[in-house]
Amino acid sequence: METIDESEVSEINDAGVTDPVKVGHTAMVDRDNRTTIGEILVDNPRMSCRDVNVYYGDNHAIHDVSLDIGRNEVIAMIGPSGCGKSTFLRCLNRMNDTIDICKVTGTITLDDEDINSKKIDVVPLRAQVSMVFQKPNPFPKSIYENVAFGPRIHGLANNKTELDEIVVTSLKKAGLWDEVKDRMDQPGTGLSGGQQQRLCIARTIAVGPEVILMDEPCSALDPIATAKIEDLIDELRQQYTICIVTHSMQQAARVSQRTAYFHLGDLIEVGDTNTIFTNPRHKLTEDYITGRFG
Amino acid sequence: MSNTASKSGNKARTIDIVYAGLRKRKAAERRFQLYGKLAIGLGLLFLSLLFGSIVANGYTAFVQTYMQIEVYIDPDRIDPEGKREVKELSRADYGGLVKATLRDMFPEVQSRREKRQLYRLVSTGASYQIREQVLQNPDLIGQKISLWVPADDEIDMLMKGHIDRKSAEEDRRVKDNQIAWVDRLLSEGRIEKRFNTIFFTAGDSRDPELAGIWGAASGSFFTLIVTLLLSFPIGVAAAVYLEEFAPRNKFTDLIEVNINNLAAVPSIVFGLLGLAVFINFFGMPRSAPIVGGLVLTLMTLPTIIIASRAALKSVPPSIREAALGIGASPMQTVIYHVLPLAMPGMLTGTIIGMAQALGESAPLLMIGMVAFIVDIPQGAFDPSTVLPVQIYLWADSPERAFVERTSAAIMVLLGFLITMNALAVMLRKRFERRW
Amino acid sequence: MQQPTEGHTVVRYDGELNGLHLLMLEMGSLVLDQVRTSLTALKNEDLVAARQVLIREHKVDDLEIKADDEIVSVIARRGPVARDLRIVMAFSKTITDLERVGDEAARIASIIEEMYETDRSHPSGQLMRDVHLMGALVTHMLEKALGIIDGLNADDAEEIAKGQVELDAEFRSSLRRLTTFVLEDARNVGHAIYITLIIKALERIGDHSRNLAEYVVYLMSGDDIRHQLRQLQPETGPDDTNDFDDRNEAF
Repeated sequence: METIDESEVSEINDAGVTDPVKVGHTAMVDRDNRTTIGEILVDNPRMSCRDVNVYYGDNHAIHDVSLDIGRNEVIAMIGPSGCGKSTFLRCLNRMNDTIDICKVTGTITLDDEDINSKKIDVVPLRAQVSMVFQKPNPFPKSIYENVAFGPRIHGLANNKTELDEIVVTSLKKAGLWDEVKDRMDQPGTGLSGGQQQRLCIARTIAVGPEVILMDEPCSALDPIATAKIEDLIDELRQQYTICIVTHSMQQAARVSQRTAYFHLGDLIEVGDTNTIFTNPRHKLTEDYITGRFG
Repeated sequence: MSNTASKSGNKARTIDIVYAGLRKRKAAERRFQLYGKLAIGLGLLFLSLLFGSIVANGYTAFVQTYMQIEVYIDPDRIDPEGKREVKELSRADYGGLVKATLRDMFPEVQSRREKRQLYRLVSTGASYQIREQVLQNPDLIGQKISLWVPADDEIDMLMKGHIDRKSAEEDRRVKDNQIAWVDRLLSEGRIEKRFNTIFFTAGDSRDPELAGIWGAASGSFFTLIVTLLLSFPIGVAAAVYLEEFAPRNKFTDLIEVNINNLAAVPSIVFGLLGLAVFINFFGMPRSAPIVGGLVLTLMTLPTIIIASRAALKSVPPSIREAALGIGASPMQTVIYHVLPLAMPGMLTGTIIGMAQALGESAPLLMIGMVAFIVDIPQGAFDPSTVLPVQIYLWADSPERAFVERTSAAIMVLLGFLITMNALAVMLRKRFERRW
Repeated sequence: MQQPTEGHTVVRYDGELNGLHLLMLEMGSLVLDQVRTSLTALKNEDLVAARQVLIREHKVDDLEIKADDEIVSVIARRGPVARDLRIVMAFSKTITDLERVGDEAARIASIIEEMYETDRSHPSGQLMRDVHLMGALVTHMLEKALGIIDGLNADDAEEIAKGQVELDAEFRSSLRRLTTFVLEDARNVGHAIYITLIIKALERIGDHSRNLAEYVVYLMSGDDIRHQLRQLQPETGPDDTNDFDDRNEAF
């Protein structure tokens, strides 16, 4: 909420006070203008990205994106397919490293440490910035093993009791404990889609991340399961920073505090979710969220 | 429908056109299915012909004609000095004992020619059998023992009906008086067909009635063990590296092309390679399963690598992403998640590769595994032969009795192959895609 | 007429929003006619026309209900956001305001009935002078506001804001004059009360017209300028500070 673009608003206010009736059409930014509209900065950011460019071979997938991600906020990234929102999300924990031809330039800092530097080891980074994927992808192992895998490989538990505790806490945080406590040894793949996705979130929480990246976490789920995940996201905001990519604008409006709109690799507009969904400044943003293309 | 069509005027409704063409369409469909059925039927026909001829030729090899003889273990012949020394005993003339016994059984035989024919009733294996008994139990000396010994292969053929009694005597390898003796023994119940244990327990022999496949089977076993121990770890490691870690560039593309090429290289080339490298250069023993295993490893590797890569590819990327997304290192991802999921596919590929190796003969000919080896190999360094080569050897032998043994050996080999392939199918069914 | 929206991927959505706009314009012209008719009736002391206004009031109500239904249905089925959301919100409020303008027109009509039906003496032209003046001003404001809604062009909103200031001043001076008339001749009290009610109704219509213009500004730019426009007004009495939300409609 603190992140409303002060300069933008005050400019309008000034105009409004002196000559209120001339406000009308000047506010809307033209379609061809691709500089980011809105306030990209936040106070005391958890992550901040500056001039991030991503190339897939010769394809320039993301152009000069700068964006701060605040603490304990849910930031939603929306945009038409192929706009680069998922690619950008995957930059935040270097998941793009798994693609050979992908090159990322610019600085991305997590608590003032540049994570895009080659010197950074991605293993501890991904423990801090963990990812939940579009399709629920539990390991074909027991529910317990699914959650215990992360803490085990990172050596977070010294003994079985500690590990059990992490597993139980994570499942509780993910709101899944009551549903699975009697069948911890059954395969995670036997759960329903929504439960599987919450299991994946529990698995992510178990490694104690600071930032959770979610790549369209509800696109494969029914509305009830979606609502549960959204409720969970709201709960998790107390402890984690969450970046969520979503195709559903309603979902972005429901769960996020800030929204970033991407279009063809450009970050078009960032702002307070309320503002974006009632009064976007950029014509592209408005056209997209009102359903005029995409 | 025609009513509706006429009602709707000159423009025919879609449904009428559809109905009009329906009969033709269904006929085409039936024809198409018929072609498929014919193809499968033809395949089955040839398969059953092949199996039928093999089984028809070979099933008789599982029985063997045995004769009962009462042998008097004459101390004068065996151990004239009465020392009962093993060395003496094993060198003694047991053949003479058998001959004496036969003379006793048919006292009317007098002429030398007839005697020779008489002696040919019994296999030379009979004397070995007596020696074995005597060596085991020297107390038998001086006693009269009753023994069932294998009949000669010609008599065996006669008993199995492969020799036509009605043809002229000079055209047969079994003479009239031999037939008469056999008939007498038959009426006395002293000759009969029994289960052929020799076939399953003995090594190779020039005498068909004494030849068995156990030597070749052991050779095959040792060769396959060597192949498996080498090709599975190497193949899996290569596949995992290429699929999970190797960067995609021209060099890895080249490797991939070469692996695919290797799979198509004629196996005899691997034999030549083995001969040149392992035997001539490294000086490894000829005819040994260790060299056979090395050569077959070269041949099986491409199959295992290709199958393993396919198995790794079929593991959904979401599993890898899930593990990487919470900070697992690439190796942990592979060890904990990818390999267990790919393992059934890898094992299937390996078993199929092993089955191929089991049936392979050409490269082994080049490294000397085609030698005539009577002894049963006790390890991977002993000279030996393998099942397919044994089949080849027997198929080359002139004796009539080797024909059925060849077929029987083929049946044994097929049995192993079917078992291995069934195992592969079972593994696949059992562990297939549990995600 | 300016189409409020076009270019939605779902073409029917455009149709629904534009249909809503048309419905609103229909209601607007009906209401404007009501105001005009009642003012004419007042000028001509025409009881028949006044009754006609009262009868047509139901049509305004029906249109309001119909428009409300459609707005609810658009919200429920399309989940409008951004400009679409502002269109729906602005239209919804516009319809409420228009309905209230209709109410004020009907109120004037019923006052006319009461004033001229009885055998008592009719108010003098002097007393009525301010009423006609304000009536003309208000009609002009309402016409202008409807023009803005029609053209979806907020540029003229300034004029309405000015008209509102003028109207307010007029209202105040009328009240003062009425007080003078009543002090001069106590028999004027009865008429003065009626006239006060009428000018209050006219003042309300002016307020609503200003609101209508503000909704269009909000729709077009996303800026809520209601409070900013208020700052343009001269010092106002305490009962005016919150009258844009119509709580003191009853007066």
